[in-house]
Amino acid sequence: MTVIFGLAAVIAFLGAIGVVLSQRTIYSAMSLVLNMVALAVLFLLLDAQFLAAVQIIVYAGAVMVLFVFIIALLSPGAEERVRPLELRLLLGGLGAVIFTLLVGRLTLNGITIGPHGRMHGELGPFAPTLVNAHGQVQTLGEQLFTTYLLPFEVTSLMLLVAAVGAVYLSRRRRVAA
Amino acid sequence: MSGLFPGFLILSAAMFSVGAAGVLVRRNPLVVFMCIELMLNSANLALITYARYTHTMAGQVFALIVIAVAASEVVVGLALITGVYRSGRHLDLDELSEMSE
Repeated sequence: MTVIFGLAAVIAFLGAIGVVLSQRTIYSAMSLVLNMVALAVLFLLLDAQFLAAVQIIVYAGAVMVLFVFIIALLSPGAEERVRPLELRLLLGGLGAVIFTLLVGRLTLNGITIGPHGRMHGELGPFAPTLVNAHGQVQTLGEQLFTTYLLPFEVTSLMLLVAAVGAVYLSRRRRVAA
Repeated sequence: MSGLFPGFLILSAAMFSVGAAGVLVRRNPLVVFMCIELMLNSANLALITYARYTHTMAGQVFALIVIAVAASEVVVGLALITGVYRSGRHLDLDELSEMSE
């Protein structure tokens, strides 16, 4: 368990670094795919099988194909050069390290985990063993269509708006002024 | 198993801050979009981690919604980028400053 977590975490982090530091846009995209596949493994470790599948299908599949398609279509000619010792990159890295240390300090300080390695307060009814016995996808679906029906409907509305917006933005139009 | 809880959260924070640094540092709009995806993904990791360790389902439901938000954001963003490209301008965020003037 710990070994798989360590491997997947290192791969995910290296993928994230690769997205920022790659010289060419296509390498950034490939690093992002690596990051997302490693994240899917982590989701499996967290008993979220459905979301691991969705992560692979929607992110590593659909979204990244769209990215690669646009990169191939535009083929940005003059690549910007990212030199590793550039000042803005150093400052960005410094900020990233400080934020990570702050969150790590809060987490290890036990603010989010109680003395017995458990959360403060009551645990919810969805213990992983119960959920897996009932069916993980089934439980998620039941919750999605009962308790969280309103957010689900609003999401479908948002998808409609995004589709209409994308069609509007990318249609061919006469240039006015 | 609960020993890994801080590990997941720290990885999530590290990925988020790398993505945020990338948004601030890079000037290619496509790479900036990928960094935003990175930040959304790290938020998903934190949501699912908390869902797992508090024995609740809300985190997983909202991770699903975040994935939908990210997909539609990419669709609209890439349509904008192709629009900018078609208008003949160089794809560099520092040069696309009409909105701020």
